[in-house]
Amino acid sequence: MLFLIEYDRSRGKIVTFRGFGGEESRSAEQARLEMELDLNRRGVEREVVLLEAENEEALRRTHRRYFEDLAQLVS
Amino acid sequence: MEAKISKTQIDRLGERLRKGSITDFDLRLLDEYRRSFTTAYAIVAAGIRRQLDLEPTGRPAKSTTSIAEKLRRESIRLSQIQDIAGCRLIVSDTTEQDRVVASLVELFPDNTVVNRRQTPSHGYRAVHVIAKVEQKGVEIQIRTTLQQLWAELSEKLSDLIEPAIKYGGGNESTKRLLTSASKVVARQEATEVILSEAQSATSGLGSDSALTQQTTEAIISGERQVVRSREEMIEMLHILIEDAARLKQKE
Repeated sequence: MLFLIEYDRSRGKIVTFRGFGGEESRSAEQARLEMELDLNRRGVEREVVLLEAENEEALRRTHRRYFEDLAQLVS
Repeated sequence: MEAKISKTQIDRLGERLRKGSITDFDLRLLDEYRRSFTTAYAIVAAGIRRQLDLEPTGRPAKSTTSIAEKLRRESIRLSQIQDIAGCRLIVSDTTEQDRVVASLVELFPDNTVVNRRQTPSHGYRAVHVIAKVEQKGVEIQIRTTLQQLWAELSEKLSDLIEPAIKYGGGNESTKRLLTSASKVVARQEATEVILSEAQSATSGLGSDSALTQQTTEAIISGERQVVRSREEMIEMLHILIEDAARLKQKE
């Protein structure tokens, strides 16, 4: 699966999160580009990243920084 | 599509990203460049799944923010960035890490291994294998669970407090604690090596009970050390978090 994440670094929080099926990579890449264009036009600073994982649980395990706060990371 | 973008165009785009004034045209060009890594990334991810029976979590393309930051931080051209596409494997310990690295090197013969256990980068420890496939580099990060915990925490602190933390900057107390935590990870890794060697020795001892007893004691001692190191690191990270919370409140 593919996951498109819009992440606000200064708050350490995900703003939007969207999943795509494995066969939807072109749609996912297009969605990433559109999101970047939109944010850039509005002058909003966000990290936009497209990640691939077996499922959301696997993604949460290997990219905890996006999903957890500091205390949760070491709990 | 790839043939449409020349190296000069890529590097000029990199210069604009470095300066920070990005247009729609730049974002579209960067997107096209990143997509040129899709096939190489897919080959690497599929190879890991099929041949190594491991499930990587991948980042088919580095984010614009991360690319721009890397260009500003390092005197590097966009066409020289090696981790445009990459994936990550989390393993239990250094023994497993070495085994996976050896398998990856065999699977992707055109490779570069960057051993951040031997040369840590601002406390960051891991082993990276950059596999060159279809003339494109794909970075495979292999991290132990402790290396991963340290890296995630360092990144989160960089997000919340100061981006420089991840690269050895930031306030002194955070730097000191991250460095200390990284040293604990290194100590644990050294213990894992001793433990692994002792376990190998045991398996070759057969019925020599005196030696087996001696080696068994060494293994038990090593296992205790591994547990102690982990506890020590967790304790240190809690201090780090309290420190970070105080800094955040001051803002």
